[in-house]
Amino acid sequence: MALALTTAVAHATDVDTRALLARLSRPAPDTTTFVEVRYSGLLAEPLVASGRLQHRADGALVREILEPYRETTTLKGENVRLEREGSKPRSFSLDRAPELRGMLSSFGALLAGDLGLLERHFVVTTRGTEARWQIELIPMDEKLKRRLARIQVDGTLDSARCFTMSEPDGDASVMAIGVQGPAELPKPLARESLAAWCSTGAEP
Amino acid sequence: MTPAGKVLLFFAWAAVIAGLGWFVERNLVVGSDLRLFMPSPRTARERLVLEEIGEGPASRMLLIAISGTDPRAAAETSRALVKALRDSGEFRWVANGEGSLEDIPERLLAYRYLLSPTLDDARFDTAFLSEQLHERLRDMASPAAGFLEPLLPRDPTLELLKLAESWQPATQPQLLYDVWFDAAGTEALLVAESRAAGFEPNGQRAAADALRHAFEQARTDATLALETSGPGTFSVLMKERTQAEARRLGTVATIGMVVLLLAAYRSVPILVLGLMPLASAGLAGLAAVSATFGEVHGITLAFGFTLIGVAQDYPMHLFSHQHAGLQPRDNVRALWPTLATGVASTCVAYLAFLFSGVRGLAQLSVFTVAGLAVASLTTRYLLPPLVPDRGRDAAESALLGRLWNRIAGLPRPVWLGLAIGALCIAVLWLSPRPLWENSLGGLTPVPRPLIERDIALRRELGAPDIRYLLVIQGDDAQAVLAREVALDPQLAALAASGALAGFDHAGRYLPTREQQLRRQAALPDRSALQASLDAALRTTPFKAGVFAPFLDDVEQARSLPTLGPEDLAGTPLEARVGGLLLQRDGHWTGLVTITGLRDPAALERVAAATEGATLLDLKQASEDLVAHQRERILWCLAASAVLLVVVVFVALRDPARVRRVLAPMALTTLVVLGLLHGAGVSLNLFHLIALVLAAGLGLDYALFFERAADDPAEQRRTLHAVLVCSLSTLMVFALLALSSLPVLRSIGITVAAGVVSNFVLALLLTRPREERHS
Repeated sequence: MALALTTAVAHATDVDTRALLARLSRPAPDTTTFVEVRYSGLLAEPLVASGRLQHRADGALVREILEPYRETTTLKGENVRLEREGSKPRSFSLDRAPELRGMLSSFGALLAGDLGLLERHFVVTTRGTEARWQIELIPMDEKLKRRLARIQVDGTLDSARCFTMSEPDGDASVMAIGVQGPAELPKPLARESLAAWCSTGAEP
Repeated sequence: MTPAGKVLLFFAWAAVIAGLGWFVERNLVVGSDLRLFMPSPRTARERLVLEEIGEGPASRMLLIAISGTDPRAAAETSRALVKALRDSGEFRWVANGEGSLEDIPERLLAYRYLLSPTLDDARFDTAFLSEQLHERLRDMASPAAGFLEPLLPRDPTLELLKLAESWQPATQPQLLYDVWFDAAGTEALLVAESRAAGFEPNGQRAAADALRHAFEQARTDATLALETSGPGTFSVLMKERTQAEARRLGTVATIGMVVLLLAAYRSVPILVLGLMPLASAGLAGLAAVSATFGEVHGITLAFGFTLIGVAQDYPMHLFSHQHAGLQPRDNVRALWPTLATGVASTCVAYLAFLFSGVRGLAQLSVFTVAGLAVASLTTRYLLPPLVPDRGRDAAESALLGRLWNRIAGLPRPVWLGLAIGALCIAVLWLSPRPLWENSLGGLTPVPRPLIERDIALRRELGAPDIRYLLVIQGDDAQAVLAREVALDPQLAALAASGALAGFDHAGRYLPTREQQLRRQAALPDRSALQASLDAALRTTPFKAGVFAPFLDDVEQARSLPTLGPEDLAGTPLEARVGGLLLQRDGHWTGLVTITGLRDPAALERVAAATEGATLLDLKQASEDLVAHQRERILWCLAASAVLLVVVVFVALRDPARVRRVLAPMALTTLVVLGLLHGAGVSLNLFHLIALVLAAGLGLDYALFFERAADDPAEQRRTLHAVLVCSLSTLMVFALLALSSLPVLRSIGITVAAGVVSNFVLALLLTRPREERHS
């Protein structure tokens, strides 16, 4: 048992996390495309939306959905503002959505390449190789843990490929980064096949 | 009387005073509702105004700001404060912008379909449900998914969220950490509605203490500071400032009085005896008011003691006229007709206030009349046996003798008196400025920086206007609610045109039973809803059966009894609706509060065109009330002036003497009025009462000078008495005149000026002309 643990830790340190984060950091402003796939217990099939993620110079994060409808979420400071075509804008604070706060703090730390910041909120485990790595983040905050079980970031070399957020009730959303549209993802979008796509980098 | 008898009498009297003091202490209820000093209403509209001044939600509203270096700590404290204040029992309603979804009790959840306006123009058919479900799919793909998804199986149309949003104020501050913050994001903002009326300083003090206590418990950070504003905060502040200042001035005045009495009579027993009639008078006055009215207003108390301060003069006349060879009993017998005339006429003047229609003034009248009667009777019957029959004779004072001769030698041009009187009348008559101050706020003005802060907070919070209030009346709650609902489109149009920023009324929270029944009738039965839902679901990836709780709730809502105001107990709606929809002796009143009103005339037009609606301008209305009140008081005073002349005439029975006695007082009243007006002072109720006090003093001075006309020794003794009396009164009121608070200053200046003028004029005008030559 002790041996197994040591091996796991030794395995986990194959990749230098600090160096990896430094390579991943993207100074603002920065824009990337994404496709997000949402799996829910209420749904027989996942929801798919694609758009653009913008990290603005003022620190705000703007998540824009362009397909199949238009919606803009602006995350700035403690406020989340959700604007969707055809409906009234809605604002709420990060206190209402702890999972979003968790996602944001991990995202912010990754964009800044700041391991210290990441380790303040998560238990950080890195697996894989320099060429194909995986960072697992387990929240430390109890309140956040009730809403967010883990975040998994998969990537190759110096770019992140997938952000997978798993909730305790089994729901999850996967954000594929740098992808133009759902056509680039595996079909059908079963959870296992998308997970495999994220971790192996296999093109469909 | 034997020395032992004197001691016995003294202690018996002291014991009665102590006993009375104990009785008063046990039974006295001191009220502080300022409306006691407002007139009784004569019309339905006046009654409405009086009910709403201090009772309306806007005047109960406290604006609260929590500032500190860490906004997050301020937000946490704001949340904890809301909980603590809701539990404190001092507040009817507390809000900080937090969504109240969690506060809605289970039994009300199914009512969402009856309370929400969705069913007014939508049906739960396939098209509507399909559109809603697609919208929910988008929500599920949005960052809001985390907190929306758990609601969906039960509430796929998010009816609860719509309701909670519609219950938020029409214009609200920005949300930071889910609570209200100012635009700069540094201060957490809250509003609380106290149970106590706005102009009831004792209740407001209790609310302020509860708030302070809750804040100390709730604060998470030592740097946080609490700040409150609003009518309640101001009434507490001004009451306490007035009290503190009156107490400070009163202490100085008491010390001055003791020094003056010791200097005048050089005897400690005289000093103590001099206080006994006044103490008896004060306690008798309190007991009389307590017995008649059940409670004494704080203002009656403070002001009453000021007015019966004149009772301090009675023993002084006795002391100043006391000299070797004169039995105190004979002394008082000789003085009594004069003293009694003064007391009787002053009491007649104060009786006028009994019929003023103002409860506070009626209390003041009872207090003063009872006090003065007791003071004069104790001076007449209890004091003489205790007064040492030897002592300094004021007549032996060479200084007083020279002073008297100097005064006697002064020229007394009657024409000058007439000219001064005419001049004063001319000033009053010809000046274009209004003579009277009608604004109630002018008496205890709130410091400018606080007002500005209040305006700023009010704007940040979108708090309702405290001047204008729309009142809807009806026979029952449903009639009022229906009228409010009918007004909605017109008010919304005013809001759209910018005439006002927002409005609030009970109908926003509680629809009429008729509306609820209409919505209920629009709910489909279970099988129809199931069919529509199934059809809608076929266009979505939702799993079959996930919306079973929704079907259950709709089915339940179809058979719920409609909600009335009485069914809201224990719900977050209870406080909101309770504050805006009130039952008052057989009829119901709904209040529509207005935010950011820019065009009162437009609102007035809407109100005029609506049955049962009245737009109250509380400022204008209260000024009208003050003006009516004053008119009535002036008539009462005129009547009492006539009575006073009658009393003096009955006592003196000589038109020439009556003229000499009344002239200084009448001229003084004119002079003081002319001076005040000439100096740019607008007159208020307190000036009027002070003028009556000054007139009473003047009458006393003149009566005594007139009485002392013949004998040079008596003249010197009278001069001594009146000098001591007027100097002590002048000192007390000159101190009040130095006050920074207009209410104290107006009393102080009026009486101080009145004392000087009365003293001088009484000396010059009351002695018969021939006496100069004898």
